[in-house]
Amino acid sequence: MIYLDHAAATPVGSRVLEAMEPYFLRDFFNPSAAYLPAKKVAADYEKAKGSIAHAIGAKTSDIIITAGATEANNLAFTSLALDGSCLYLTIEHDSVRKIAEQHNGQGIKVLSNGVIDLDDLKTKITDSTELISVALVNNEIGVIQPLAEIAAIIREIKIDRLKRGIKKQLLLHSDASQALNLLDINVARLGTDLLTLNAAKVYGPKGVGALYVSHDARLKPLTYGGGQENGLRSGTENVPSVIGFAKAVELAKEHLNGNRKKYASWRKILLSELQGYELINKKHVLDNFVVLCYNGLDAERLIYLLEDREVYVSTGAACAASKGQKSHVLKAIGLSDEQIAGSLRLTFGEANNEEQIHEAAQIINEVVTNEKRRLGR
Amino acid sequence: MKVFVGMSGGVDSSVSAALLVEQGYDVTGVYMKNWSKDLPGMKCPWAEDLADAKRVAVKLGIPFEVWDFEEAYREKVVEYMLTEFKKGNTPNPDVMCNQEIKFKLFYEKAMERGADFIATGHYARVSLDEPCLMRAVDENKDQTYFLYRISDEALAHTIFPIGEMLKPDVKKLAEEKGLHNAYKKESMGVCFVGEVGMKDFLKEYIDVKPGEIREVETEKILGYHEGAIFYTIGQRHGLYISGNKGEINDGMPYYVVKKDLPKNIVYVSKNLNHEAIWTKELKLKDVFLRTGPTVAFLQSSSSSMSGTQVTSPVHETEMLVRLRHRAPLIPVKFDGETLYFEHEIKRPASGQSAVLYDGEVCLGGGIIA
Repeated sequence: MIYLDHAAATPVGSRVLEAMEPYFLRDFFNPSAAYLPAKKVAADYEKAKGSIAHAIGAKTSDIIITAGATEANNLAFTSLALDGSCLYLTIEHDSVRKIAEQHNGQGIKVLSNGVIDLDDLKTKITDSTELISVALVNNEIGVIQPLAEIAAIIREIKIDRLKRGIKKQLLLHSDASQALNLLDINVARLGTDLLTLNAAKVYGPKGVGALYVSHDARLKPLTYGGGQENGLRSGTENVPSVIGFAKAVELAKEHLNGNRKKYASWRKILLSELQGYELINKKHVLDNFVVLCYNGLDAERLIYLLEDREVYVSTGAACAASKGQKSHVLKAIGLSDEQIAGSLRLTFGEANNEEQIHEAAQIINEVVTNEKRRLGR
Repeated sequence: MKVFVGMSGGVDSSVSAALLVEQGYDVTGVYMKNWSKDLPGMKCPWAEDLADAKRVAVKLGIPFEVWDFEEAYREKVVEYMLTEFKKGNTPNPDVMCNQEIKFKLFYEKAMERGADFIATGHYARVSLDEPCLMRAVDENKDQTYFLYRISDEALAHTIFPIGEMLKPDVKKLAEEKGLHNAYKKESMGVCFVGEVGMKDFLKEYIDVKPGEIREVETEKILGYHEGAIFYTIGQRHGLYISGNKGEINDGMPYYVVKKDLPKNIVYVSKNLNHEAIWTKELKLKDVFLRTGPTVAFLQSSSSSMSGTQVTSPVHETEMLVRLRHRAPLIPVKFDGETLYFEHEIKRPASGQSAVLYDGEVCLGGGIIA
């Protein structure tokens, strides 16, 4: 098997699994319980949260654990006042787009390379804008957004608002689910007020994520109950998953530079050995994202043909693909319907080695050639 | 020979496509997109079905297309269904879908595209010389009940590749051929009925009001219902009387015997012998007789027949009728309008179909009035 869909899911690391194991059987206690063994679990949980927080330059109390990135993204939007409006990048994941639409959010355009159109951002910010959501790394094309530049623009607008006596908040939210693997994230440096993390994309367990919340942001709970997570996310703590999440983040940090170099070289190998494609994501991209277009071919057919050869790739976001939707991301960067239909996303990671990358290139070339032959080309 | 095969993602149509490829036809797989709307709390599986169908087409190395019939399906099948339910009937959307979509629009479009044949994964057979619709070899899976109204013209250009096969053999073949969906659960034809259930679907589209359930003999109010259209005559389930499901203190069940739609009252009775439940005669409407076989049948078996007039009385001639999918075949006499049974039968819901057979040959049928 050659798994080239790390943006969809990552295998749980063996050290992560190892770290989680005791908390299923031995240290299963409810962290809120009164006896000592439970208090120990509570302490381990806080420590785990702390290491997630430190990895992004935040404090333990700034972190709200959620059941994944979708919930964290939704939680971020509770910062909006009733009369507040929001902006989001048109290429955001559905977990941002759909909640933004609920708040009559407006889309910010991207340039043809997938990077935010800062001029469009500036014209769309009004005095009622309270929240701007821009993912650090896009989940379909791996484009990295200049968050610090966006934060600088926001800072100027905030100053201007203060001068004019307008008290309205203006927050920057970023979904960093895809970024945690390869980018050194620091919330202060990025200038974000809210930041989404996802364990499942960094070799941690599925169904656990986190939202970093700065002191400027005031959130409302999505669920009510026992008041866990600063009262913002009630429910007994998912201890094993958070322990695993923390371990995964720690390992990601440790291997950041090595992995970047490795993935950059694999990307080069793929791009030089593959034939007859058009590269879609050329610049400002995370090294493990390769988006290719085979003009005139149907990428979905390629997926099934590659599946037969045990090479697993995708056309875009797994959740959008399962609904039969055309990629809104590829559309936003100006691709034609034919180009969108012919586009494949390859995302590599820890499940791969260099040999596999060579092999994958060869298999993809074969499959593409066969498919062209079937069509008489 | 060019064939367009309807592929639903299920095992039957997948194996059908595989057989056609094996037999050397120039095959194109088509997913008919008839319905894609999610209902509250229910996800319509169309996109998954489409992906399954496409995967099989790719494995077979055949072209694959999606033909969008959503508008027509809504107009011809869903609207018909809702209208009939509002009238208090229990229509069969599958019969209508075959008549209006699969063996009409799909057929016509395939022909426009230069097809020699269309094919589907139905369990049915067609003898092409007449053309003549025949029951499937797998009696347990026979789907001619849903196909009796399709046009002769379409039938003459139809292949049912698995009509000669038994379902277990179809499944086995799918596994042998590595068609991944050999383990997939049966597709229901109409996705929203399969997944959502008819009642939930109707609730979404028809403004139903709760009303009284009365005992027919005494006019006594026994309980309340969610909407009269949900009930069919002869039904015993779902009567929430005195907190019991169709049963009251003495343990005897109640049966629906009458519906007063204007007053929104459902009448029930404990009398299982109530005249509304049993009948020896059934009046049909929208009778559709399959010209070729019916003529042949009448000519060979009825002395009172003259020429090719198929609606003449054939009172003396015994044929077989099926009143529900998979229901046993019952001997019956038919005069072109009414079915006459030798023994009393439990009355099927109006709106359902009665389908006539001479042995294995489907003669046509009608909608129960």
